[in-house]
Amino acid sequence: MKITINGKVCECEKGEYILQVARRNGIEIPTLCHHDGFSGQGACRVCIVEVVEKGRGKIVVSCVYPVEKECEVFTDSEKVQKQRGMILALLHKKAPGSEEISKLCSKYNAPVIDRFVEEPENKCVMCGLCVKACTELSAGAISTVNRGVTKEIATPYHEPSSSCIGCGSCAYVCPTGAIDITQTLSERTIWGKTFALVTCESCGRVIGTKEEIAYAAKRAGREPDTLCDACRKKQIALGFKAIYGE
Amino acid sequence: MKTVKVCCGTGCLANGSMAVAEALEQAIEKTGAEAQVQCAVKRTGCFGLCESGPLVTILPDNIAYYRVRPSDAEEIVQKTLLAGEIIDRFLFKNEKGEKVLSQEDNPFYALQEKIALRNVGRIDPESLADYLAVGGYEALKKAITMTPEEIIKELEVSGLRGRGGAGFPTGTKWRTAASYDVFPKYVVCNGDEGDPGAFMDGSLMEGDPHSVLEGLAICALAIGAEEGYLYIRDEYIHARKSISEAIRAAEEAGILGEHVLGTDRKICFSIVRGGGAFVCGESTALMASIEGRVGEPRAKYIRSVQKGLWEQPTVLNNVETLANVPYIIAHGGAHYVSIGTEGSKGTKVFAMVGKVKRTGLVEVPMGATLRHLIFDIGGGIIGDRPFKAVQTGGPSGGCIPESMLDLPVDFDTLKQYGAMMGSGGMIVMDDRSCMVEVARYYVQFLCGESCGKCTPCREGLKQMLAILTDICEGRGRPEDPQILEALGQTMMESSLCALGKSAPNPVLTTLKYFREEYDAHILEHRCPAGVCKKLTAFRIDPDKCRGCTACAKSCPAGAISGTVKHPHSIDPDKCIVCGSCREACRFDAVMTEGRKA
Ligand SMILES: Cc1cc2nc3c(=O)[nH]c(=O)nc-3n(C[C@H](O)[C@H](O)[C@H](O)COP(=O)(O)O)c2cc1C
Ligand code: SF4
Ligand code: FES
Repeated sequence: MKITINGKVCECEKGEYILQVARRNGIEIPTLCHHDGFSGQGACRVCIVEVVEKGRGKIVVSCVYPVEKECEVFTDSEKVQKQRGMILALLHKKAPGSEEISKLCSKYNAPVIDRFVEEPENKCVMCGLCVKACTELSAGAISTVNRGVTKEIATPYHEPSSSCIGCGSCAYVCPTGAIDITQTLSERTIWGKTFALVTCESCGRVIGTKEEIAYAAKRAGREPDTLCDACRKKQIALGFKAIYGE
Repeated sequence: MKTVKVCCGTGCLANGSMAVAEALEQAIEKTGAEAQVQCAVKRTGCFGLCESGPLVTILPDNIAYYRVRPSDAEEIVQKTLLAGEIIDRFLFKNEKGEKVLSQEDNPFYALQEKIALRNVGRIDPESLADYLAVGGYEALKKAITMTPEEIIKELEVSGLRGRGGAGFPTGTKWRTAASYDVFPKYVVCNGDEGDPGAFMDGSLMEGDPHSVLEGLAICALAIGAEEGYLYIRDEYIHARKSISEAIRAAEEAGILGEHVLGTDRKICFSIVRGGGAFVCGESTALMASIEGRVGEPRAKYIRSVQKGLWEQPTVLNNVETLANVPYIIAHGGAHYVSIGTEGSKGTKVFAMVGKVKRTGLVEVPMGATLRHLIFDIGGGIIGDRPFKAVQTGGPSGGCIPESMLDLPVDFDTLKQYGAMMGSGGMIVMDDRSCMVEVARYYVQFLCGESCGKCTPCREGLKQMLAILTDICEGRGRPEDPQILEALGQTMMESSLCALGKSAPNPVLTTLKYFREEYDAHILEHRCPAGVCKKLTAFRIDPDKCRGCTACAKSCPAGAISGTVKHPHSIDPDKCIVCGSCREACRFDAVMTEGRKA
């Protein structure tokens, strides 16, 4: 089936999300809580667009709105600009420390509302991606705590979590760089916990934290890695050579 | 046979009605009344007029007593049960000052029409026999001989719309769920009732649990479900007990369970304890909570009737909606559709509280005016003070001014004015309520009860609360109303669930109908209602003061001086603006004025 986005005719499948269709067609829609690897959350609301069906327009959230019938979509209508502007203005006060949010604000002409109270230095916009990553990829060391306006993301009781394996997936998916992660040659610190790093036996490159490697090995049912990806491939290739010759 | 019914609804229980019931039983035993007249004490659900409890009714004489204490039990047995004498002081006094004998003569009851509450207060909720005696489970017997299509048709004809707030047509919901050939399907009863002022659903579950179960069972037959859940607010201990006892009794009697009414149909219900936040009453959050996940809503672009609990077709209905269902099946949709207004059929139960003389549960046909509810049934404002506003629809409802009191209350009318009927909470306010403070209060409530998942609701509420607090504490700025309006607009249009979408209602309606109060706070540094402490100073009007000294006696800060029969005065330096003197004064001599920062 077909829909039009900003006047451009786009081919799509029934049930596809508007965001997917738009991106495939090179049409930009800002997102914060969306990640291709996870199911949509519809939490940050910056990806709103206006859908016009039978002459009636409504604001929908493009990352989770499935295309069901032919419609016209506008990613930058007056209504979208106004609401997205206010949402970004709110996020800017929530996370004045985030450069990413400042950039989005200027790109989408968000109003500056001095009247709003600010959370100094904060960078987290509560998009929830880190929790998704931690829950779906690994151990479930962080979660949202509290609800309403005091909701935050933390380890249990704000203490270093015993189930955290230091993999850093949360920091990796964070759109605003809000999660503190520091690394030296031998150690990585995240969520108040310091992990020893394991290096490749062959080349000496960091392959991950001990806990992370043990966790991956357990899930895959094999011995923990001692080599980095590249060296392991090389070793396998060498093995082949030894058996089959050049 | 005489029956002494004692209301054991939550309100009366809190007033000690259980002790009254026990005292009555003891008195009957002690006086040997049983030997002279056959009599029994029956504990029932809520009679409705909670404010005058504990309530006792004696049948068949139909004598209604109010504010009965355990120490009155013996007198009631001796005089009324045995000697047939009426004790004047327990009777209800109407507007004209006349004592009335029966519930039917009490204007609070006389003007009501009970469908959902038809059995509440009439039967012992713990007795299945009582329920059967008033025609209980007849509708289920009828429904099991009907096809799903016939049941759904009856619901559609009735015009029943969901009582949980949104007013979605129940027949349509059931039809959609029935149309999917995907099994298992589920039925769920929403008994979360998170609205702090409301107790309609709790009273129903407590006072007539089988009606709710029967409604849910009929729904299960209509859509082809075998399993159902009753999601009950965690604080509702009595309701949970009552429902759980009713499930057990109905299963034991073979009415529900593996073989419904002796057929091969299976319908099993279980109880789930609510997650504890207002947002958990929202359909998708509620389902997440039943599945054991955090009670957060999801986008509803795919509806629960298609993919609800565990991604299976699910019908969720409110307690009161379900209580109407057996009535509709028993009496026919065509009868039900004759009650109410064009778009809203049947009756609605309201929990009327606040500054109204008679507070309690009220059921009236849809379309009754607010004035009828508050003044005819509720008896008007306490102390005959001026009416100022009524907040309808729960924490995210709107505040309606005097000029709109003649609007009919139904699903659609109030919405046009930015308020809503919602699930039936109704808080009446007099001239001593500050509308800015009211808005601030609701926003503060919602700040803690929203799930905090989406930006507009979480951040919008936070900023709204900061601005409203500023206004109430004298730091308001001239541009604040516009900012609040713009924020409200964004929250309404782009929040994820209906909590965020409706959260601005109290703010937007007070801005619209009580703008002058905002202006007084912001521009004149004055709270006209004398509520916001930083913007209020009390002064005694020497022309009105009779020197009765009541104010001086009531002042906890010793700020009032004066001699008997001479005008008193308040020392502003000592005054803590608690308002005790204003409450104490019988001559309306305590005036409020602004306070310079
Ligand atoms: C924040 C929020 C809270 C709600 N709380 C309740 C509630 O406590 N009880 C209820 O029946 N419906 C509640 N609802 C409405 C439900 O989402 C749903 O519409 C209703 O239970 C459907 O049943 P009905 O069609 O019979 O009304 C709430 C909705 C929202 C948005
Ligand atoms: S609108 Fe409020 S309650 Fe609803 S999903 Fe958003 S944050 Fe949660
Ligand atoms: S990206 Fe769609 S709501 Fe966040």
